[in-house]
Amino acid sequence: MSEQIAFWMLSAIAVLGALVAVRKRNLIHGVFALLVFFAGLSGLFLLLLAEFIAAVQILVYIGAVGVLLLFAIMLTERVAGDDGRRMTSRGSFWGLVVAVAVFAVLLLPAIQELPPPEAAQAIDPSVKELGHKLMNPYVVTLEVLALLLTAALIGAVTAAQGVRMPKEENSPE
Amino acid sequence: MTLHHYLILAAVLFCVGLMGAFTRRNAIVVLFSVEIMLNAANLNFIAFWRYSDNPALLHGPMFTLFAIAVAAAEVAVGLALVIAVYRHFKTVDLESMDTLREE
Repeated sequence: MSEQIAFWMLSAIAVLGALVAVRKRNLIHGVFALLVFFAGLSGLFLLLLAEFIAAVQILVYIGAVGVLLLFAIMLTERVAGDDGRRMTSRGSFWGLVVAVAVFAVLLLPAIQELPPPEAAQAIDPSVKELGHKLMNPYVVTLEVLALLLTAALIGAVTAAQGVRMPKEENSPE
Repeated sequence: MTLHHYLILAAVLFCVGLMGAFTRRNAIVVLFSVEIMLNAANLNFIAFWRYSDNPALLHGPMFTLFAIAVAAAEVAVGLALVIAVYRHFKTVDLESMDTLREE
């Protein structure tokens, strides 16, 4: 019973946060709604007994991605967002239609009368076990991921630095 | 709570993200929306893991962990690209970014 109450509250928080984040004109408010969405999702992970993932969600998304998004907004647009101008893109009606259609397609398997699988009542996904798994079967993935993060770091710095065009009069021709 | 509840919730969140990505003009909001979609997929991974036959294998959390790390890399590169494009066009409006050339 308490699990149901928690599920409905957390889903309401997550859905409302996501909706406000994508519809808000003021981008800073949008980012804060997005953080609420991430927090709600982290609560849902807790409800699904994935404590470590919930902690990672808070650390990575609320901690890092939120701050990154706030900085990007402050570096680019006026903080209050695109006031006065059109908020939605051309043909946004069709975008809405496609989103609703995709939702309907995603619901098709969910409403079929399949016997719902039983939830495991107690799982012990201890961090120790996760660490062992990272070191034994998933070590190659971990290394590739480390490489990817390094590449992304260098790529992000290079892209944000901007391309310095050589001046034409200085070129050797 | 059954698996279906979580799957339907993830579908709703995914479509909210899809709606944002398709209907907004601001590049940063489109990045938010992609993050929302990725998080909905992560919720699906964790829900399927919880309701799987052998959750002790920890496939769900491992996959989600890697997906979160890749998403973090993606958002860093995406925002760097948005800033680079902003330098050039002086806007993050996707409809005014309509050329790949130097003007």
